Amino acid sequence: MQAAPSVSRDAAHVRSSARSLIDVRNVSKTYVTASGGNVHALNRVDLKIAEGEFVCVVGPSGCGKSTLLRMLAGLDTYDSGSLALDNRPVAGPSGDVGVVFQAANLLPWLTVRENVRLPLRVGGRRASADPRIDDLLAMAGLGDFAARYPYELSGGMQQRAGICRALARDPQILLMDEPFGALDALTRERMNMELQRIWQANRKTIMLITHSISEAIFLGDRVVVMSARPGRVLADLDVPIPRPRSFDTIVTHPGYARLASEIRGLLNAQEGAAHD
Amino acid sequence: MTNTAMRAGVSSSGLLEQPEVDAATSIENAASNAMPASRKPGRAEINGSVIAGIGLVALIALWIMAVRFLRVPPYILPAPEAVLNALWSGIAISPASPKGYYLPLWSTLSNAATGFAIGSGLGLVLGSLMAESRLVEKLLMPYAFALQSLPKVAIAPLVVIWFGFGDGSKVAIAALLAFFPVLINSFTGLRATEPERIDLMRSLSATRFETYRIVKLPNAAPFIFAGLDMAVVYALLGAIVAEFLGAQQGMGVVITQAQAVSDVAGVFAALVILGVLGIALHSSVRRLEHRVVHWAHRGKR
Repeated sequence: MQAAPSVSRDAAHVRSSARSLIDVRNVSKTYVTASGGNVHALNRVDLKIAEGEFVCVVGPSGCGKSTLLRMLAGLDTYDSGSLALDNRPVAGPSGDVGVVFQAANLLPWLTVRENVRLPLRVGGRRASADPRIDDLLAMAGLGDFAARYPYELSGGMQQRAGICRALARDPQILLMDEPFGALDALTRERMNMELQRIWQANRKTIMLITHSISEAIFLGDRVVVMSARPGRVLADLDVPIPRPRSFDTIVTHPGYARLASEIRGLLNAQEGAAHD
Repeated sequence: MTNTAMRAGVSSSGLLEQPEVDAATSIENAASNAMPASRKPGRAEINGSVIAGIGLVALIALWIMAVRFLRVPPYILPAPEAVLNALWSGIAISPASPKGYYLPLWSTLSNAATGFAIGSGLGLVLGSLMAESRLVEKLLMPYAFALQSLPKVAIAPLVVIWFGFGDGSKVAIAALLAFFPVLINSFTGLRATEPERIDLMRSLSATRFETYRIVKLPNAAPFIFAGLDMAVVYALLGAIVAEFLGAQQGMGVVITQAQAVSDVAGVFAALVILGVLGIALHSSVRRLEHRVVHWAHRGKR
């Protein structure tokens, strides 16, 4: 994947060559709100993500991108279309998928190690192997904080623990729902660097949802732009910037400004449409 | 009034940093002394007990003066010395003596403790079932509230008929009173679990019991402890109310016996013992809570 500098907009030939691990076809979803109204959340969404690929999804607030992620995690149902992970239809939460939630979502009554170990001791698993957990914590720079409680950690450290927890079962797929949205800009950039490093080290297939255009371009092999509600895929753009990327060098890359303004243009048009 | 009081509070706390204090505002200063200091953790607790001590001394001083200068007859309000004498004669005695407080206190306490354990245990189990199942909630909630609306003094004789004059009726009434606060608080706390935490457990394919044990129960712990805090005092109350209706021993019996011979000081002494006991039980629940629910308290700092 690293050798995919093609600037071509339609990179379908690249994608079809690799095994697609996430396969969303024609998925629509309407849900009923508490007040009885119908919300058409997703409209005929198509999305393929190949093994080892890092795809970022951006879109206006409430465009259903989180709903899409929840469906892939098996937490939400869909009305029509098909959803498959590794060629198996999604029928509920799977051990092969790690989910990173907004704002870390650690359990405050468990230590950092216990939080990260949680996936290994529920759902019919009986964990005995702790070294893996310690390796994960060390990789995320949390080795010295394993015995601490979440409230003793900074926001960035908490989210790193959240990522470690999602990796505990060594899943093939990582689904990340605006994981760094609650962090300040500098911490966020540092976390982006960390995540890139983690991803390059173990090559999970990642779908990350974000509001930040720069984060999407920095992290993604591709950036998928979604429309305002009902959400559908507006554009699927390749990021032609070689890795490892850094925030210092990425902005000087000619592809960066072009891609950023294209995404911004698409999103602004959506904002306008939503307000009409 | 509130306006001036507030201004006085603000100005006096500002004055604290200055070496000399106006004599006219010194009383207000003494009262609001704890306010700025209590913001510093660590000193807060010391200040809390100092304030409680000052309050107690002031109360007793007021009591002494009221009895002395208003000439209140001792069969209405005995002097603190008389109460102290009565207390002393009950405390400074062999623990095995039937005249002391030890045997009745032990009897009341053990009945209250048993009732507390049964009542709060039942409250937690039923509260959990109600929180987990809408069906159970719809089935049981009306009865829980109906039971709580009944005056316990009215049910107490019925309970005595069912369980007899022995320990059984005391335990039953203590349990009855302890039950409701734990039921409602555990129900509320379990239902208050953040949906994100439930999602986390669902995404891990956790079983329902794992979600309950690992997420919902710890999440509800602060609520449950608030319920236990009430329940422990209610259980003591229940045991004593039951003893009033007839018992061989217990603090309720000590009170009724003192009443029978118009020993008002003796009644007061027993009430003081029960009051102290209430404070002790409450603070031991609080201490346990701070130890178990440590994350909630540290998180607030």
